[in-house]
Amino acid sequence: MSSYDVIVIGSGPGGYVCAIRCAQLGLKTACVEGRETLGGTCLNIGCIPSKALLHSTHMLHEAEHNFATLGLMGDAPKVDWDKMKGFKDDVVAQNTKGVEFLFKKNKIDWIKGWASIPEAGKVKVGDEIHEAKNIIIASGSEAASLPGVEVDEKKVVTSTGALTLDKVPGKLVVIGAGVIGLELGSVYKRLGSEVTVVEYLDVVTPGMDGEIQRVFQRTLKKQGFEFIMGAAVQKTEVDGDNVKVTYKLKKDDSEHVLEADAVLVATGRKPYVDGLGLEALGIEMTKRGQIAVGKDWQTNVKGIYAIGDCIEGPMLAHKAEDEGMAAAECVAGKHGHVNYGVIPGVIYTAPEVANVGETEESLKAAGRAYKVGKFNFMGNGRAKAMIAAEGFVKILADKETDRILGAHIIGPNAGELIHEICVAMEFGAAAEDVALTCHAHPTLSEAVREAALDCGDGAIHA
Amino acid sequence: MTELRTSLLVIGGGPGGYVCASRAARLGVDTMLVELDRLGGTCLNVGCIPSKALIHAADLFATAQAQAGDGVCGISVSAPVLDFNATRAWMDGVTANLRGGVASLLKRSGVKTLQGRARFLDGKTVEIAADTGDTVVRADNIVIATGSRPADLPGLPTGGNILDSTAALALEDVPERLAVIGAGYIGLELGTAFAKLGARVTLIEAADGILPQYDDKLTRPVRRRLSDLGLDLKTGTRVTGWDDATGTLSLTDAEGDSTLAVDKVLVTVGRAPNTFGLGLEELQLRMDGPFIQVDDRCQSSMRGVFAIGDVTPGPMLAHRAMAQAEIVADIVAGHAAAWDKTAIPAVCFTDPEIATVGLSPPEAEAQGAVETREFSFRANGRALTLDDTEGFVRIVARASDHVVLGIQATGPGVSELVAGFTQAIEAGLRAEDIAATIHPHPTLSEAVQEAALGLASMPNHG
Repeated sequence: MSSYDVIVIGSGPGGYVCAIRCAQLGLKTACVEGRETLGGTCLNIGCIPSKALLHSTHMLHEAEHNFATLGLMGDAPKVDWDKMKGFKDDVVAQNTKGVEFLFKKNKIDWIKGWASIPEAGKVKVGDEIHEAKNIIIASGSEAASLPGVEVDEKKVVTSTGALTLDKVPGKLVVIGAGVIGLELGSVYKRLGSEVTVVEYLDVVTPGMDGEIQRVFQRTLKKQGFEFIMGAAVQKTEVDGDNVKVTYKLKKDDSEHVLEADAVLVATGRKPYVDGLGLEALGIEMTKRGQIAVGKDWQTNVKGIYAIGDCIEGPMLAHKAEDEGMAAAECVAGKHGHVNYGVIPGVIYTAPEVANVGETEESLKAAGRAYKVGKFNFMGNGRAKAMIAAEGFVKILADKETDRILGAHIIGPNAGELIHEICVAMEFGAAAEDVALTCHAHPTLSEAVREAALDCGDGAIHA
Repeated sequence: MTELRTSLLVIGGGPGGYVCASRAARLGVDTMLVELDRLGGTCLNVGCIPSKALIHAADLFATAQAQAGDGVCGISVSAPVLDFNATRAWMDGVTANLRGGVASLLKRSGVKTLQGRARFLDGKTVEIAADTGDTVVRADNIVIATGSRPADLPGLPTGGNILDSTAALALEDVPERLAVIGAGYIGLELGTAFAKLGARVTLIEAADGILPQYDDKLTRPVRRRLSDLGLDLKTGTRVTGWDDATGTLSLTDAEGDSTLAVDKVLVTVGRAPNTFGLGLEELQLRMDGPFIQVDDRCQSSMRGVFAIGDVTPGPMLAHRAMAQAEIVADIVAGHAAAWDKTAIPAVCFTDPEIATVGLSPPEAEAQGAVETREFSFRANGRALTLDDTEGFVRIVARASDHVVLGIQATGPGVSELVAGFTQAIEAGLRAEDIAATIHPHPTLSEAVQEAALGLASMPNHG
C-alpha cells in the first residue's frame, strides 16, 4: 500500500493533464489506468486515431479529385487499408508513449488496473488499496447503447470498432448524425463506401448553429452522403455478412429496412462510472447519470473530485483538460477556473466545421439582440489557391456593444481558424477588435477578419 | 483629351489600391482608380496568389511522390507525372477568377476604373496616358498605391534566362537546373516549389544565412527541409558574372572562384518601390530613401496626396497595404482614422512555414528583460496525425508582467495561427490570458496555448 496526495482515476486527456498539473504543483500523484496504454478514449480510440484516418483519406480525396486539375497526372491512387490502419496505430503509439514519458518526467506513478473507491481517501486497484488525500475521478465516457441494436464491434460497431474494420464496407449505415458519425462516415465515404446516415432528429449535429447545420448537411449530400432524417432505428440484425437496419419514420410511423455491410452506432456517449462504487459512497449524480460537482469540481463527498466526460458539459478533450488543470489547482489550494462560455468544438470533415460560443438559435431563445457578420471563402485568395473555397465564416456579435458572442466556421482549416476567436472572446473582444487586427495575406484567416468587418461597416472582398 | 473630375483618384489596382477605392466608394466618396496593367496588382497576378497556388501544387506533388514509394499513410499512388501546362492553366484560372472578383468588387462599389499610365501634373491633377488617348483627371484627393517591382542585381539584368519572380511564375516548363540568387522569402518559396516540381535548385546567398531577419533556430527546420529536398545552399557566395551562351554563372566565396552551370537564373534580391515615371519629381514630395514619406494618416508632405503600400517605408506586405488603404478611405470619407497597429504579421510560405509578429527575441531584449518559451510540435497530437511535427511556437514576453511582445512559429500550418498571435499582441494580452483560453483539441493551435502555459506556469505536454 502506498499513500499519495492525489490519485487520479483515468488517464484520458482530463486525467493525465490533471495528474501532470498536480505533480507540477508539488503533489505526490498517481494515476490509475486499466487500459494497456495511457491516453484514454481520445488518444487510443477517439480523437487521435480518427484524425489520422481523416488525414490519410483526405489525401486520397485530394489525389482523386484535385490532382488532375493541378497538373499532377498518374494512375488512380490505391488504398492499402491495413497500411492505413498501421499509420493510425503508429500515431496512437507515439501519442500514448508521449504521455508515458510525461508521467515519468513528472514522477507520476501509473497504477495499472481498474479502480474502485471503497471509501473517501482510499482507492482500490486489484487487491491493493492505496491511500489518497484527494481522489479525482476522470473516468470518461463510453458509447451510448441503443435498444434493439447489439454491438459486436465487427459488423455492428461503435466508434471503437469503426477504427479497425477488417475491410472497407461496401455499404455503411451510420446511426446518428453527430460529430463522430459524420467524421467516421467521411473516412469510409472517401474510401469508397456508400454511406447512409440515419438520424432521429431532423437536423445534423444537434446543438450547432442552424444555418451551419443546413449548409453542412447540404455539403455532405453533395459528397454523396445519403441522409434519412427523423428516423428512429428499431433494431439491427446480423445475417452472415449482411446487417439489416430497421427504422421507423417519425412523420408517418412507416417501417423501412436498410441493408448494409457494416453499421456504425454513433448515437452519443454516456459517462463511464461503472465499478467505481459511487452509489455506496453516496456520491450525488445528475438526472443524466453524470457525477454532480460543485464549483471546485468537488463532489458532495469531501476529497473526491470529478472532471471531464463523467460530469456535465460538452464531452470534449479540451474541456476535460481545462477542468483537469483547474481541479488540480483547487486541490493544491489555488484558484482553478474554467470559462464554460468559450469552449470551441471542431468537426474534422472536409470542409471542417468549428464553432465557439452562442448560436443564432440560443441568442434568439435568450432574447438577446445580435448582429451577424459573414464572409464566404469564395472571396478568399488562399482558399482558391488550395481548391478549398467552400464554406464561410459567421460571427455573432451583440447588437449594441459589438461584443463577440459566438463564431461558426465551415470551411478549410476551420479548426485552426477558430482559436483566434476563442482568444478574442476570452478577453471580451468586440468584432471591431478582430476587424482592426492586421491579418496576414494570403491566409484563410483573412476570412475571419472580413466576417468581423461585416459586423460593422461591411467586408472588403464581398 | 478628356477631362474628368472626381473626389478621389487611386493610382494602382493592387491590394492597397483596390481596397482603398472600393471602401471609399462604399463610404460615399466619388472614386476613380487607374491601373497600368491588370487589376489586382503584383499580389494577385504575379505575387502572393500564383506563388501560393504553385506551392500548393508542388506540395501535393511532393507528398504524392513520397507516398508513391513506401508511403506511410496507406495510399499508394503510381509516381505522378507533372503536366506543368495544366498546373499553369490552373494557376492562371485562380488568378483570373480573383481578378474578375476585384473588377466586380470595384464595379459594385461604384468605382470608375481607368486603364493607363498615370503621371502627376500637379498635386490635384493627373494625366493618364492610354492607347485610346489621354485623360486628365482632377481630384481632391489622390492616393499613390503603385506598389513595387523586383529589384535588379547590378550586372545581371533580367530577360531571357535571367528571371525575376514574375518571369519565374510564367515559365512554360520546370527548368532542369535553376539557380536562385537571394535566399529571402521569395527566393526560398519559389526555389522550394521548383525543387519539389523536379528542378535541381542551387540557392545562392551573399549573407551567411537564409532569411536574415530571423534567428538561426527559427530557420533551422527550413534549412533541414531544403537539404532533404536536395537544394544546394551556397551562403557567403556572390555572383560575379553570367555567360548566357554556355549558361554559366561565375561565383565567388571565401574559398575562391567557381562556376555553376544552370538553365535558368532567378533573381530575388528584394523589391524596389515604383516611384519613378509618376511625375513625383515635380511634386517634390518628401522622400525617405526611395520611399514616399507619410505620416500616421498615410498623408505625404503634400496635402491631399496620400501614399500606401510598398511605396511607403515599412514591410512590403499586401496586408499592410490593405490596412493603410482602409485608413485612407476612412479619412477621405471624413472619418477619423490613423495608423495605430502595434503588430503586423509576416508569413513565409516556406517548408515548413514561418510566421512571426511583434518583436523578435533580440528586439525584445533590447527593450528590457524578457522571458521566452517554446513549445515543439513534436508533442502536439494534431501534428502527429498530420505526420508533420517539425517546428515550434515561441512566445516572447516581458519578464515583469508577461505581456506578450512577440510570437514566432515555424511548422505545419503556422500561417493560420498567426492571426491569433496578432490578436494577442494588439489586445495587449499576457501569456496567462492565452494560457487560460481553451484551445480546441486536437489542433495545432494547442501548441500556442502550451507555449503560453510555459510562461504562465508550466506546459502540460512538455
